[in-house]
Amino acid sequence: MKGFLRRLSVRLAAGLVMTAVVATFTFFLIHALPGNPGDAAYEQFVMQGMAPEQARAKVAVIYGFTSHESLFQQYTSYMGQLLRGNLGVSISYSGVPVSHVIASAAPWTILPVLTGLLVSFLVGVTAGVVAAVRRSSRWGGLLSLSGSLMAGVPSFVLALLLAFLFHTLWGLLPFGDTSDVTLTPGLNAAYIGSVATHAVLPVATYALLSYGGWLLSMKSSVVSALGDDFILAAELRGITPATRMRYIGRNAVLPLFTVLALSFGFMFGGSVIIEHIFDYPGLGSLLLQSIGSRDYPLMGGAFLLITVAIVLANILAETLYSVIDPRVRR
Amino acid sequence: MKLVRRAALPLGAALLLCGAGACSTPAGGSSAAGQVFTTIDGNNPITAGAPMNPFNASGNSFLGYDQMQLGFSKKNPADPNDFFPGLAKSWTADDTGLTVELQPGAKWSDGTPVTPEDVKTSMAIALTQGSATVGAGVLTQGLDVADVKAVGPHTVRLEQVAGAHNIHFPRLVLTQKIVPRSVYGPLLPADVWDTVHASQNPDKGAAKAAQAAVDKLNAVGQKVSAFAPAKDVSAGPFVITRVNPGSAVLDRNPHFYAADKIAPKQVVIRHYTGNEQIWGYLTNGELDAAPYTSMPTNVLNRILKAGNKRVDSVSYVDAAIAFNQSVAPYDKLAVRQALAHVIDREAVTKVAEPVGGTASKTTTGLIQPMVEKWLTPDQQGKLDPYAHDPAKAEQLLKGAGFRKGGDGKWLLPDGKPWTITLQTVNGFSDWISAATVIANELSSFGIPTKPALTADFSTYKKEIAEGKYAVGFWLTALGPQTDAAFQRLYGADDGYTAVGTKVTHSTGKGSGNWQNTATSFTVDGATVDPGALTAKLSTLEPDAQKPIVQQLAAATNQQLPVIQIWDYTNVQFVSGKRFAKFPQQGDNALLANPPGVWMMQGYVQSAK
Repeated sequence: MKGFLRRLSVRLAAGLVMTAVVATFTFFLIHALPGNPGDAAYEQFVMQGMAPEQARAKVAVIYGFTSHESLFQQYTSYMGQLLRGNLGVSISYSGVPVSHVIASAAPWTILPVLTGLLVSFLVGVTAGVVAAVRRSSRWGGLLSLSGSLMAGVPSFVLALLLAFLFHTLWGLLPFGDTSDVTLTPGLNAAYIGSVATHAVLPVATYALLSYGGWLLSMKSSVVSALGDDFILAAELRGITPATRMRYIGRNAVLPLFTVLALSFGFMFGGSVIIEHIFDYPGLGSLLLQSIGSRDYPLMGGAFLLITVAIVLANILAETLYSVIDPRVRR
Repeated sequence: MKLVRRAALPLGAALLLCGAGACSTPAGGSSAAGQVFTTIDGNNPITAGAPMNPFNASGNSFLGYDQMQLGFSKKNPADPNDFFPGLAKSWTADDTGLTVELQPGAKWSDGTPVTPEDVKTSMAIALTQGSATVGAGVLTQGLDVADVKAVGPHTVRLEQVAGAHNIHFPRLVLTQKIVPRSVYGPLLPADVWDTVHASQNPDKGAAKAAQAAVDKLNAVGQKVSAFAPAKDVSAGPFVITRVNPGSAVLDRNPHFYAADKIAPKQVVIRHYTGNEQIWGYLTNGELDAAPYTSMPTNVLNRILKAGNKRVDSVSYVDAAIAFNQSVAPYDKLAVRQALAHVIDREAVTKVAEPVGGTASKTTTGLIQPMVEKWLTPDQQGKLDPYAHDPAKAEQLLKGAGFRKGGDGKWLLPDGKPWTITLQTVNGFSDWISAATVIANELSSFGIPTKPALTADFSTYKKEIAEGKYAVGFWLTALGPQTDAAFQRLYGADDGYTAVGTKVTHSTGKGSGNWQNTATSFTVDGATVDPGALTAKLSTLEPDAQKPIVQQLAAATNQQLPVIQIWDYTNVQFVSGKRFAKFPQQGDNALLANPPGVWMMQGYVQSAK
């Protein structure tokens, strides 16, 4: 137990350092972007008939949350605030705290990503075992083919295809929100059903995108385990087929845990494209919007959340791995 | 974090339910029975997490629905003060201010009446939003409200700063957002009007104190824009019930002064991130009304096939190619004129903006309907149309010392090759298509031209102001006010700053002047100072503007600081499935406003 806690502390410390490095890198990267938050608004005010001087003055007030300190001062102030858990205030939201804006968008990325990942992991791993065990049969071949095909499809192609088929062509599934806005949120069937239907397309995209990877990895892992000496020895001892499958499955699934954590990070990053295509208002959409409006604090906050999620997922995977596989502890 | 925990279980359960076949079809079908009006606010996409505050840059507040003004502009080019009544039933303007009669039955959605005190609070807030200026009246279009007083239970008097004769005063007052004093009043310091008066002090000796007062007002303005009201309190026909990350629902306000005219029980405003989403919603029959979006012909056909009806009205915008005249050879008039003759505007418009564009007849700084309104037939006849005429272009270039090389490509007068980079912006699909066609036309003519993309509009604005582009796309002819239209050519982007009647001009780094047009032209024998004339337009009544507009249009036609390519048309779509009685084609005044304003005028009734 002592060793476990020590390893966990080391990983957490490394995670903190990693987060600080990424926060520093992204801070300077986003501040290197040309343009400023008020330019587009200025143009819009002029288009609405406002005199240029007036438009400039208005922009200065409502977008006046831009810091005028030097970049280095802004950086030290940003990191200092970050240590206290303060992400600053949004420029494009006229001073609304970044944490508030992110908190309203984050659930709509975390839930679909986690659901998609879970579904694809369960289905992909199961299909991978079947594809390995029945690799000489037609079913095994078909499953492997499906995995290869899905692993090769780019996310935007799959998302556009699903949107076209299920929304535009057949009108079966909605997109553009998290639920039907006319329904009262709460634990009622209508609202829950609406949340589910609105999440189907992004969840299905996340799931289908990673399904192929799980299937192929699991198949390869199972095939490799099938030839291991301990399986042969167990078979000679006369174990039942179910016990044999349990032995194979447990050993074959181990390498996939690391991939699971990495997938979580990749899917988070992929949410930018998928949410944009489905107009699903999660963190990915927020990140795109904040880049378009040059909202540096909001961009920083969104990037940081994604970074923290990936770092935490990796720590979790390493920790679980050492629990599941005693060899790693040595 | 609370939200995550609350939402996790329902979503998981719901996905299982969905897998078992319990999912329902998407929205759209259920709208009819419930009289739900579904639309998109073109100026205000839903912003997740933003407050229901009209002063917030991303605020979820919707003009004409829950956000009210005293009146709504008819965008009448002959009278900038022509308005539909809003919270003001009527108004009278005079030399010193405006007297407004509020709608006698006007109430907030909490049942309390709209009072002159609400108007006073709203005007004070407006002055914290960048509208206050040192000495007031120095800006030609400043909101010069000096005082607001109740002169009756429903009558309010708004005084203009002494000595200011701003012809836009009624327009500026009538278009301010009117908010409840009960909600927004506590954000204002008790001495806010003293600060306003201090900012308006015209004495040069008090300039420092006036600037301090302006800064103080702007600081209050920041607090106001960051404010998040707990709930929406509206004097409009609707009040916000809920804002989802991707849509907002507004219920009919039973206390609205003309509630009997409002047919929809609810309004759903949907989020959008680009044209494609709006096209998709229209194709699926999910919208009852949609604002203008640029689209190709095949998309238009799909939208019309889905049962939507197209309603067009005037749009006071034009797409043009602008020059940085400090860069050779665009400083030469003959070059700009030659390019205008090479570009086939009809062909470009047909490809780039086939649905919402009409090829510009010529370049004047105004859209064609404005040309027909402000210029006499004789003056219009004298305008050079710059017809597609490559031979004429060749003649002009040769006259300016250009010649063709052995490979058929044009060479500059110094013998160097001439190439053009035509700058556009990523995401502006019509500009990008137009740039491709124009590049082909110019290249075929012998001037190798390549279109170039800037990553986004923010960067484009910054880089064009820094003089990085010699030739690029630009929106011109903004109206309906003539001063706004000519400001695009002879205003801030050309180095002019108008302070009262005094106009200054600057050039060089940091001046913001990237157009670098000459500061005087000779038009029909007379010397024209375009910057001074443009600034003067803002101070004149429409009748007095006429000779100046005519002079500026003629000067622009001769000097070509830009080449206008197409006039935009405000193409909107309405669906007769759930509602009837929409504004008709060409109903410019109504169609310049959002559907909430149509409803206030008795439009949009149940189809059944």
